[in-house]
Amino acid sequence: MGLFFLVLLCLYRGVFGPGVLNRVAAISAIGTKTLVILLIMGYIYQRVDMFVDISMVYALLNFIGTITVAKYLEMSGEI
Amino acid sequence: MTRLTDDIIIRAVARIMIPFIQLYALYVIMHGHHSPGGGFQGGVILGASFILYLITHGLEEARARMSELKAGIFSASGLLIYSGIGLLCLILGSNFLNYGSLSLILKVIPAQARSLGILGVEIGVGITVMAVMFSIFFDISTGGIIPEDKEIKEENG
Repeated sequence: MGLFFLVLLCLYRGVFGPGVLNRVAAISAIGTKTLVILLIMGYIYQRVDMFVDISMVYALLNFIGTITVAKYLEMSGEI
Repeated sequence: MTRLTDDIIIRAVARIMIPFIQLYALYVIMHGHHSPGGGFQGGVILGASFILYLITHGLEEARARMSELKAGIFSASGLLIYSGIGLLCLILGSNFLNYGSLSLILKVIPAQARSLGILGVEIGVGITVMAVMFSIFFDISTGGIIPEDKEIKEENG
């Protein structure tokens, strides 16, 4: 349950956060916490081997999305 | 979006990670009938690896590896694999995509023929999804204008 509380804190920073960089970092942190929550769900349902696949894809797309957003912000001159 | 990045860390990390991403995508395609995944999901991961290459290494190097012409050929050939297997089943006298009849050609029992047939269909779907995802990202990020084309147009007129 602590993880859900932390996700809510990150969501607050993502919605109201000052500046774009805080939002990007908050969304990336939410993605990482979602990965851990997925693994814990897999442990609860006794099917860790399946949920590991899903969480790896999630981490991968999170990484590529963060790089893309960072590059877009760099190109558009926001930073 | 498509110019070369200045940061050497991002380029090095992407160069190291792209082979593993593609290997994982092939695993997702091949292992699709035992675990979550399949043709579409594996194709998305494979397309994401090419998109990562386009983002980090710039437009010219990415076009050398995977141009829009190649993307079009790949998407068409993936669809050809998919519908070809379906039509092969139709020719062999059963329904469209009924892989059991492939056992006449492959000389295996129908259960194995079904497994192999669905693997072939998933490979076709994966190739198509990869090429179409790359093509969509390519068109959006360049806005349909490729720098070489613009220079050629300016030279001509």
